[in-house]
Amino acid sequence: MKSAPDQKRERPAISGAGDRSPRNPFEEFGRFAVSTQTLPLEEIVQSTEVVMDRIRRGYERLLEEEAKELVWMVQYNTIIKAYEVAERYVKEIEYAAEDIEDFCFALENTQKIPYLIPGPAGLYISALCNYVEEEEILLKLSDLKTEINLLGFRLPKGKRLMIEGDTGDFTGIGVEGGDLTIEGNAKNWTGAGMRSGNISVRKNIGLHTGEWMMGGEIHVGGRVRGLGNIVEGKVYEREKLVYPGKARYPNVYY
Amino acid sequence: MEKNGYRERVNEIYQLINDHLYFNRPDLEIKGENYNSAILLSLLTALKQGKELIIGEPGLGKTTSAEFICSLIYQFPLGMIWASEVSGHPEQTEEKIVGRPDLGKLNQGEEEVVWTNFTQIPAKIVDEINRLPETKQSMILDGVDRGNWEYLNEMIINDEYSLFATANYQDGGTNTIIAPLVDRFDVMIESKHPGANLSFQVGKNGRKAEFLRHPKIEKEFHRLFKSKTPYDKKLAKMEELCDAFGESVHDALGIRPLQKRDREQIRAEMEDLAYDLDASAFTRMVLAEFSFCEHYGQKRSVENCEEGCHYSGYLCHEIKNCASNRLPTSIKQYAQGLAWLLQDSEVDIEHLKAVIPFALAHRVQWKDQILSQKERAKRDDPFSLYLAKEAVHVILQRYREQSEHLKDALAVGSRIFQGESLEPLEGDHPLYREIKKDLERRKR
Repeated sequence: MKSAPDQKRERPAISGAGDRSPRNPFEEFGRFAVSTQTLPLEEIVQSTEVVMDRIRRGYERLLEEEAKELVWMVQYNTIIKAYEVAERYVKEIEYAAEDIEDFCFALENTQKIPYLIPGPAGLYISALCNYVEEEEILLKLSDLKTEINLLGFRLPKGKRLMIEGDTGDFTGIGVEGGDLTIEGNAKNWTGAGMRSGNISVRKNIGLHTGEWMMGGEIHVGGRVRGLGNIVEGKVYEREKLVYPGKARYPNVYY
Repeated sequence: MEKNGYRERVNEIYQLINDHLYFNRPDLEIKGENYNSAILLSLLTALKQGKELIIGEPGLGKTTSAEFICSLIYQFPLGMIWASEVSGHPEQTEEKIVGRPDLGKLNQGEEEVVWTNFTQIPAKIVDEINRLPETKQSMILDGVDRGNWEYLNEMIINDEYSLFATANYQDGGTNTIIAPLVDRFDVMIESKHPGANLSFQVGKNGRKAEFLRHPKIEKEFHRLFKSKTPYDKKLAKMEELCDAFGESVHDALGIRPLQKRDREQIRAEMEDLAYDLDASAFTRMVLAEFSFCEHYGQKRSVENCEEGCHYSGYLCHEIKNCASNRLPTSIKQYAQGLAWLLQDSEVDIEHLKAVIPFALAHRVQWKDQILSQKERAKRDDPFSLYLAKEAVHVILQRYREQSEHLKDALAVGSRIFQGESLEPLEGDHPLYREIKKDLERRKR
């Protein structure tokens, strides 16, 4: 290619006849400031640790405020109050859906979290799920020895929470339009007070299912041990509508 | 960034072709600007003196688009472009492509060559190149590569030229384009169907290219090309005629085609655009994936990947052949051209992302299993271009994941090369191995 005649172009440097040193193939990077040598994996681990510390601190503060004697009674007022406290801490943290799962795992598998109290833990995890940016959250809880209560509390519309493993009592209570799937069993009072949305339990469900539920649907792949006093909504057992209907009665156990 | 109005003029030419001469949809988005790849890359080919292979179904404007570009960038009337085209057919001969003996002179015992228009004109078009048998394709190999045209013992050298070759998809009358010729093409583009609605508009406004004809100047060109004047003297006269045609286009259309000195200035400005560090590192990553083989030292089309190779997740595992040294040159030429057109001061990853697929598409030989896996994928591009775009997308993802570490590795490489006592950085990409190899070479 010929250059414009009036343009002054630099001549390429040609080594002298005796100069046999090879050309530096990385020359243009010579002035690039090398960053501190941390492997990307280390950075990821570090940033995950920072997030996990914050989530853990929030949980500890919740326990300090709501379960001072390490005893926590599930009552309507205590649930609401504890959830509000949990909400307050959760809103201060920047985290992702996978951090919630890590937290669940850390609850049983690290010395850094001293107490797993199924009620507050469930409420705290619910608050984390309800405020995380992602719409879909997957929690793999099959390896946990403790079944956590109150998971899916007030799950809002647009959120989809999938839980692998079994859950404790009060799963999905007060669901507000969200979609909650439990790949295992759920215990008593599942879906109590839910307003709308959908709860699917792949295996069996306990007593008082849908107690005071105001809307939405509960689908159970296995057996429904007992229905609660349902105000409105639908409950299906193995794809068969059991509420509303005459096949099953509240507080009668099967 | 010089403000000399060249970009505006090139953009006006693009717009004229896009609005009035070659109807097609935009299919390439670069930094928020939409372009039709066939027009854009053909413009860059003409400006950068590149070589472009245009593929597509018959009648979709492969040759026509090249003719318009050549006419407006090099200021030749269409009649002269047509008269200089070589058409590919099995009976084509060197005498019709390159030159023939002057029979009158030969009768007098003198050897003198009558050069064809094709060899003399800077804007060269070979129509249906894949209808030339393989043996005859090699006749244009040297001329295409270096601009040297030889016949008998005479030679003319084109100091400025670009080549456009069209090719239909394989049918009964086509041949394979020989590998060395394929590699000489800088880019491959497809002239696509414009869609029913634009297609309906084609031909509606009569003979739209009429204003690029100029019978009087065409006759003068013919006379000049036939004359026995030495080629270097012809060039000066050729420029005068080109400028006269350029003036007539300006009077008729209001746009000013590019004179030789304009093209030279534009090329010099493009040449001054350097790669930024990301663009440099990314291009190295691309080249590594298309040439690396840990087991055999480099990719070779006669060797197969070893079972259990650590690098089986990279593109080197999906291809048969090795990228040639023409690939980085082609990428650089077109990326610089694009950066210039977009008024950028450096070549960056966006420019590369746009041009690399077109520089790769015809050069890469994919393994059969990859072809069969992907041939039914939903796409808008011809298969080879689709695969190249996918490949660039994948490498770009890899680059974004590790760009900082990779630049660090290159920077450390530079420092080791200059004699510092450091350890090369480790990383899981063929390029880290390539860096190490270069550093080992330094130690020897």
